[in-house]
Amino acid sequence: MTAVAAPSPARTVSWRSVAERYALVVLVAVEFVLFAALPRSGEVFVSALNLRTLVANQGVALVVAVALIFPLAAGIFDFSVGAVAASSSVVAAAAVVDLGLPVVVAALLGIGFGALVGVVLGVLIAYGDVNPFIATLGVATLLGGAIFAYTAGLRITGVPAGLTSIGSDDWFGVPRIVVVSAAVAGVAWWLLSQTVFGRRLFAVGSNLRATHLLGVDVRRVQLLAFVASGVTAGIGGVLLLARNGGATSDSGMSMLFPALTAVLLSTIVIDLGRPSVPGVVVAIFFIAITVSGLTLVGTPAWVNQVFNGAALLLAVGVARLARSRGGAAGRP
Amino acid sequence: MTVTVPAHPEPVLRVSRLSKTYATRVVDSVDWQLAPGRVHALLGGNGSGKSTLLKMLAGVVPADPGGRIEAAGHRLASEHWTPQVAAGTLRFVHQDLALVDGLSIADNFGLARRYPRSRWGRIDGAGLARHVAAQLGRHGLDLDPQRPVASLRPTDRALVAIARALDGIGDDATTLVLDEPTASLPVDEVAHLFASIRTLRENGHSVVFVSHRLSEVAEIADDVTILRDGVVVGSGPIGQFPEERVVELIAGHPRATVAARSRPAAADDAPVVLDVRGVSAGPLRGVDVRVRRGEVLGVAGLMGSGRSSLLRALFGDLGDGVSARIDGHEVEIRTTGDAVAAGIALVPEDRARDGAYLDRPLWENLSAAVLSRYRRRGRLATPAERADAADAMRTFGVRAPSVDAPLGALSGGNQQKVVVARWLRAGPRVLLLDEPSQGVDAVARDEIHTLVRDAARAGAAVVVVSSDLDELEALSDRVIVLLAGRVARELSGPDVDRNVIIAAMHAPGVDP
Repeated sequence: MTAVAAPSPARTVSWRSVAERYALVVLVAVEFVLFAALPRSGEVFVSALNLRTLVANQGVALVVAVALIFPLAAGIFDFSVGAVAASSSVVAAAAVVDLGLPVVVAALLGIGFGALVGVVLGVLIAYGDVNPFIATLGVATLLGGAIFAYTAGLRITGVPAGLTSIGSDDWFGVPRIVVVSAAVAGVAWWLLSQTVFGRRLFAVGSNLRATHLLGVDVRRVQLLAFVASGVTAGIGGVLLLARNGGATSDSGMSMLFPALTAVLLSTIVIDLGRPSVPGVVVAIFFIAITVSGLTLVGTPAWVNQVFNGAALLLAVGVARLARSRGGAAGRP
Repeated sequence: MTVTVPAHPEPVLRVSRLSKTYATRVVDSVDWQLAPGRVHALLGGNGSGKSTLLKMLAGVVPADPGGRIEAAGHRLASEHWTPQVAAGTLRFVHQDLALVDGLSIADNFGLARRYPRSRWGRIDGAGLARHVAAQLGRHGLDLDPQRPVASLRPTDRALVAIARALDGIGDDATTLVLDEPTASLPVDEVAHLFASIRTLRENGHSVVFVSHRLSEVAEIADDVTILRDGVVVGSGPIGQFPEERVVELIAGHPRATVAARSRPAAADDAPVVLDVRGVSAGPLRGVDVRVRRGEVLGVAGLMGSGRSSLLRALFGDLGDGVSARIDGHEVEIRTTGDAVAAGIALVPEDRARDGAYLDRPLWENLSAAVLSRYRRRGRLATPAERADAADAMRTFGVRAPSVDAPLGALSGGNQQKVVVARWLRAGPRVLLLDEPSQGVDAVARDEIHTLVRDAARAGAAVVVVSSDLDELEALSDRVIVLLAGRVARELSGPDVDRNVIIAAMHAPGVDP
């Protein structure tokens, strides 16, 4: 019915869609100006130290959130990314501290462990037809238990400076962790938006049967999504170790929620209804700036949690609204 | 027919100057009336305003002010027509029937109307079963109310939906609106449904019948109304509307002179492109398929005969794989990937489920089968992809506001053209089509048929599965009729005729 839309409404619609696509970007800018201008937060907020900490603190969160995009593009929620990052950080810490291996080898072991978990999940879900919700939650729980068993609830310390410098030092005035996580995000962006692999990944998420009937090996695509996710989460784990200077007995579930919020918020940026790396970057900034600003203004601690929850609900609601308008527009 | 209709019977439903405006006016000042005890076919292409008109009558879409709807003693300004008023006189059965498969017939009645309650709000199961059995009995259905709907055969499902729609009207004459009731029925069961519709008519009920199958309309309808671009372009007794004229009115221009039957049949000495022996997957019991270059092979058969399974098996989507010869080369087809690599394309039956990316823009849908063409050093050349998609949109006659429109915003016919065009861009050696014009209006159907013929002319071997015998007759050079997983008959030349096909589907080996 709308196949022959009049030209004038088409123009207003495209203008509105531009407004929708960049609403969150504008909101981030407005917030930044607001917190910088407010007398109670302004001076501290824009100080070099606060901005550096603000960005550096988000390195790990960005990488873990990016890890979540791969399975979600294929239409699968992966609840294990936090646990994979946490366990990779323990593996790397154990390798360097307990086994005395070189830093580079330890880092590769941590990333390799993430890849291994990705393979296991991919085989279970794509080839074993195990419900992804149960598989990823089960693996996350299992990893949490294994971490606790190995660390006995204690912190693994004594990580050499070769690794911690990645977490706290600079390259030409930019925190190294920011450079590394930006590089990871860049590679993920390339894979997801510029390659045939990325297009197929989103195609599987949009209509699995149709993609299968186009001759694509959809199981292999799903497996690769989990491997990519595992490797990325593994890198996140190594960065976590570098940032913290030690591996804790934390199960990593606390990292899952912010990642989930960021990825869901990313579905209302630029390409409505689907997650993206640029969207995640904007969402991470949005959350970080809000939390930092609110803390400086002096709001009580519970406000942060309320804000996180509200952001998540907002993301889901807006994404749903955008989808229903796009999809149902012309149905008779 | 000896039924005498009074010259001017009081209509059961009369609408005047009914309009609906969204961004544009989709229904434009329609006057329409429905005589009692008649079957009235409502026809029109996708986007003709037919669905919107029905939705306004159901009261679910508010009409523009200024019109008037009169039915069963109500005389209301169009904007005051509500679902509650509509339910008093009009009952609707939608195309998907709206039955919950996992529940019993009785529960399906209870959910739609009202569960009878005993004290403390407990559902009176026995009372409901008695009521439902009585309702089914009124329509000559001898079915156990406790039977799950999933176990019913297709016609009985449709009849149960009709019985449910008519539940609670008492003995009053009413108007039943059937939206494409035959779309999901196998041909041999359509007759049963039509017998029930005739019984309803004899009992004084009026039936509004919506269908894209014009031969069915000619068979069942007494009156016909044709809509185009929201305007009534023709209305009257069916006798005044032969099929050619109906198609012309729906399309708005004379039917493209496709001259299907006069086209030279594919030469018998053309090289064989597809040669498969002894396909035995799913219900199939050793089916041989040979298709020559430029030939269109039709596959007929009742539901469950293995029609669709044959295409899926040839495409590596069913069974353990087949050995085929394509252009003389031996290939093993075990996965859909093997099939695509061998130059086979499949346009699936269920477009929304198996073919379309409804939430994605047109250009992505159009290039989905030729994606690897745009790989440049590991990267996708998206601008080239979009530009080529815009060209393809014009080449294949897809009507859409732009290549960026989501596929879901297009009409069914245009969506189907996109799915066909997607594969034609890949230049397949073998084109498999499963119900290529299901749920598509008469104009889009002709356009899709033209695309299929062009593909054959370009040298592809085409296999068409269809439950629409007119379509098989129009497209096929040769037809194989499947029965219980085997080839029962092979028809060619003058035998490619709907009456011969239908006879072969039912009586294997018996010449008509």
